[in-house]
Amino acid sequence: MNSLLSHPAVQGGIAPFVVGLAVVAILGRAKLGGLAVPVGFCVAVALLSGIAFSPLTATRKIVLLALVAPAIGVLVDLVFKCGRTLAVLIALACGALTVWAFWSVLHQKTAAQALLLGGGTAAFVAWVVWATLALAGQPVRAGAAALMLGLGAGVSAVLAASALLGLYGIAVGASAGAFLLWQMVTGHKIAAGATLTLPASLTAALLAAGALVLAELPWYALIAIAAIPLATRLPAPDRLPVWVQAFIVSAYGFVAALAAYALTLRASAAPG
Amino acid sequence: MSRRLAACLAAAALPLAADAAPENYVIDPYHTYPYFEVEHVGMSWVRGRFEKTTGKFTLDAAAKAGTVELTIPTATISTGDNERGERARARDEHLRTPDFFNAVEFPTITFRGSATKWNGDAPAEIQGQLTLLGVTKPLTLTVLNWKCGPDPRTQGKRYMCGANATGSFKRSDFGMKFGVPAVSDEVRLWVGLEGFRQ
Repeated sequence: MNSLLSHPAVQGGIAPFVVGLAVVAILGRAKLGGLAVPVGFCVAVALLSGIAFSPLTATRKIVLLALVAPAIGVLVDLVFKCGRTLAVLIALACGALTVWAFWSVLHQKTAAQALLLGGGTAAFVAWVVWATLALAGQPVRAGAAALMLGLGAGVSAVLAASALLGLYGIAVGASAGAFLLWQMVTGHKIAAGATLTLPASLTAALLAAGALVLAELPWYALIAIAAIPLATRLPAPDRLPVWVQAFIVSAYGFVAALAAYALTLRASAAPG
Repeated sequence: MSRRLAACLAAAALPLAADAAPENYVIDPYHTYPYFEVEHVGMSWVRGRFEKTTGKFTLDAAAKAGTVELTIPTATISTGDNERGERARARDEHLRTPDFFNAVEFPTITFRGSATKWNGDAPAEIQGQLTLLGVTKPLTLTVLNWKCGPDPRTQGKRYMCGANATGSFKRSDFGMKFGVPAVSDEVRLWVGLEGFRQ
């Protein structure tokens, strides 16, 4: 059993997927199916590196934010209505938290470098969160965006030399995949809301930014990842069965994720 | 009379006092290398080293006291695999990421210790604190050999000391858990160091 749980495919893929599926099955009717992503991510972190916050490294700050985000997401869904203004405020807050997450690196750089890196990653995270929150009322598109954001950030991070950040990202994708698969199999849409979109987008975006700051992800791969939530907005007729809609919008997102992989591989082909 | 005697005794003791004073040495980064080895998938040992190590040590053989401070630039890690070839990344690039040494966030590894056991005039054991990935834990180095003398390259104008020491630690104690057990938790360490007396 221990050797099974120490296998990276189980830690970053199978375990978060199975746990995510269980969460959707149990909490889907209560409109909390979106918790599949943070719970699945949490399982992956526990298996891969253990949940610890001391010393509070950049990676651990990402984990901490990923664990706080669902609470905010549930609060937004239950108490507030996630309108445009609130979505913008949440996205801006996520941008600011990005600077906090990477402060240990930013403060070692010159002011110009820190401004460029901090400002760039903050803008990237804010954009991804805002664009994904806009899908909160469309469970299939939200699930597809979360799936492809996780896989896009995860596989890109692996290619950028960090298997840990990569497996964290793949865990987001796997648990979001469970959320999407449940809808495809049952044929019924389940509420996504900020409960799904906020933790999924914030975690995936921070992991991609982490692969840029801490590993070797080229900055332009972030542009392709940022396009994923936009890609999942492309047309997919509502009259089609849920599984077909899910397949189509996931394919849109996959094209953007594929672009991120290609850009990262292209950068790695350059002399190191 | 007694004042004169005391003054004479004090004057006579001055050279001894000078001999007993701690000597300060600066690390020679070109001949100081921390080496490590870890077991890979239970099959073989992968070895690596860090370069451009800086620091200092003090030595007071008469008082059986000594201290050492080493600062190791994390990004200089080398296991002999820097070429990507057909792969997306080389092993040394992977070792610099948050999976292992997180070189961007933690650019240095430090060791500060004191000689706690002596073999004649030479330190035999150094107990200290290793700071890796922002975590500080005790580390004991056993000194395999310690030698001091004139630097033969300067016709004896410069005085130097050199030593080899070894120890081990568990990387998971420092939060470096990725890849355990495929890449062993235990890290064996060898430090070869040289320093010039100031």
